[in-house]
Amino acid sequence: MTLAHYLIIGAALFLIGLFGALTRRNVIGILMSIELMFNAANINLAAFNRFLHPEGVAGQAVALFIITIAAAEVVVGLALVLAIVRNTDTLYVEEFNLLKG
Amino acid sequence: MLEYVWLIPLLPLFASFVILFATKEDPHSPMPFVGIAVMGWCLIQSIAIFSGVVSGAHHLPYEANWNWFSFATDIGGRPFAYSMPVGVLIDGPASIMLVVVTLVSLLVQIYSVGYMHGDPRYKRYFAYLSFFTASMLGLIVSSNLLVTFACWELVGVSSYLLIGFWFEKPGPAYASKKAFMTTKLGDTGLYLALLLIFAKVGSFQITQVQNFVTMGYLADWAALAIGLGILCGAMGKSAQWPLFIWLPDAMEGPTPVSALIHAATMVAAGIYLVAKTYFIYAASPLAMETVAWIGLITALLAASMAVVAYDIKRVLAFSTVSQLGFMLCALGVGGYTAGLFHLTTHAYFKALLFMGAGSVIHAVHSNDMRLMGGLSKKMPITFITVFIGTYAIAGLWPAAGFYSKDLILEKVYEHSPLMFWLLLFAALLTAFYMFRMVFLTFLGRERDAEKHHHADESPAVMTVPLIILAVLSIVSGFALEYKHLIQHLADYKLPESFAAHANHPNPFLIKWGVMGLVLGSIGLSWRLYGGQDQRLAESIKERLLVLFNILENRYGFDTLFLWMVKLADRLAAFAHWFDSAILDQIFIDGWGLITRIFAEISHLFDAIFIDRTVDGFGGLSNDVGVGLRWFVRDGLVQEYLLWAAVAVSFFMIFAFWL
Repeated sequence: MTLAHYLIIGAALFLIGLFGALTRRNVIGILMSIELMFNAANINLAAFNRFLHPEGVAGQAVALFIITIAAAEVVVGLALVLAIVRNTDTLYVEEFNLLKG
Repeated sequence: MLEYVWLIPLLPLFASFVILFATKEDPHSPMPFVGIAVMGWCLIQSIAIFSGVVSGAHHLPYEANWNWFSFATDIGGRPFAYSMPVGVLIDGPASIMLVVVTLVSLLVQIYSVGYMHGDPRYKRYFAYLSFFTASMLGLIVSSNLLVTFACWELVGVSSYLLIGFWFEKPGPAYASKKAFMTTKLGDTGLYLALLLIFAKVGSFQITQVQNFVTMGYLADWAALAIGLGILCGAMGKSAQWPLFIWLPDAMEGPTPVSALIHAATMVAAGIYLVAKTYFIYAASPLAMETVAWIGLITALLAASMAVVAYDIKRVLAFSTVSQLGFMLCALGVGGYTAGLFHLTTHAYFKALLFMGAGSVIHAVHSNDMRLMGGLSKKMPITFITVFIGTYAIAGLWPAAGFYSKDLILEKVYEHSPLMFWLLLFAALLTAFYMFRMVFLTFLGRERDAEKHHHADESPAVMTVPLIILAVLSIVSGFALEYKHLIQHLADYKLPESFAAHANHPNPFLIKWGVMGLVLGSIGLSWRLYGGQDQRLAESIKERLLVLFNILENRYGFDTLFLWMVKLADRLAAFAHWFDSAILDQIFIDGWGLITRIFAEISHLFDAIFIDRTVDGFGGLSNDVGVGLRWFVRDGLVQEYLLWAAVAVSFFMIFAFWL
């Protein structure tokens, strides 16, 4: 197992997340895709830590922070989803275009 | 006592501030006694120093310096550091002058208590007197030419304040202005001389400058220029030709002030400064000769003008100018001792004469001798003292003037017989006009019965100073001549070259021959003005009316100066016109016009090119934004995300490939 393997896994995971975020119609699906992208970044951090500076824990620590922040972000995101559902009675993003100028 | 000599100028200065600021103005203020007490102390101290000098207890010259300020600078690339000392330098002449100035000032202040009694600005008058004396004393004792110059200017300021003391009248106001500006004209020369001294010697200390000059380091031209510059200052301050025009007008001030100016403080400063910087003249025979001739011309012109004056104070003023000419002439021919001797004796009898004249004016309320006459019975003390003063100034044995004038004439004869005869003529004129003044004022007919009736002897506070000065006018001559005291105190060894072509007069002949001629001159004066009727004098005046008019117009020097001032005025008007019409309108305004044209062009360029470019970029951004809105205006989050992803990918590819 080399660094490249982990990076490929991270990149694949990120692209899957990006694809999901761009294509899913359901808001909750988009949120989950964003979580995937977070985790892709976490894998990268842990992998770089492991292979480039095995003596330290900085990368793993940052990954732990990101996990915490992702949890907080999910809280905010789900609250927004709830607000959207209550106001527009839909979960599909194409019907939710308040940003249209 | 000598180590406390610095107190002598500082105490009166302090007193003047106390008098001026401590109390409110009050015609009966007791403050004058502060000035009198301080001056009395200064006199005691001066006499103590003088007696110490005479007895040989003090070793002269005494010098003490304190550091005033230091500076460092670059002169022509070379570093130059100088610390300016301020200090006292007492030599023989200074010790004499200290006594003269403090004594005359003290007597003038005592006399003024009576003379200025009830004046609304009583207090201020005494503050000025103290300040005046302090400046003069500072000038005498200073060891530093810069401080001397500062005191010199303070003397000028004080004289301005005192001559214009009754400034609400146009006469004194004009006279004070005239005195100030005329002396300032001379001071310019003095200032330039001081600058040249510093440039050449690098020091203002008199002893250092003296060493520098006597060693022969000073170039001839520099010695001449410095000598003439100092002479210029002396010409202004000591009222020498051609700057003597201010002194007769200075009579507008209170009479005791005239006594102070003429005897001790103001006009003595010029002579004293020439004596103090005598080493420079010793280095330049031409400057010496100029000094002698300026003095001689002044002595003659002023004496002749005094002959026709009818204002009692004006006669005395011309007489002062003439006597100062004698002193300067003496200094110029190498008679250092003679000049300073006459300065000392003259101070006593001239102060006496002025105070006597003040006493007369106080009694008859007029300056015009044509309205006086026959006052000797009404004012016996004034008459006798003024007569003694006149006796002394005429140079009759055994009064003071006899010794000093005789010494001057001897020295002048040694230098040049021609100058001797001219100066002798001035001396005869002196006797003539001084006795004319006495005869017109005190003897003969009462020409104005009413004024005569009201005239009365002045109070004791005025007559006692007169008596003291009368005694000094008699004794100061042979007291200073006794055992050649004055030669010991004030002597300057001139280089050999000065004594090379000396003529040797017969001292006996000069002494008594001159006195005989003077007696003849007095007899002539008696014949013309002494009797009851003066028809002879009147007829002579009618026959020589042209000459009289020339003399009464002071040879037209006032007109000449006025004409010069007018010329300067025209010149200034022309300069103003040139400045406003040519310089301002063509150069300054023209330059402004060119600048404005360029500014207009610059403005147009800015508006057309720069602003439009900036506006164009703004418009372009706006147009791009508006155009983009056509593509991405559906408000879908995912589309924005897509654009962001595309942009990031694009930049990443861009970054990796480049």
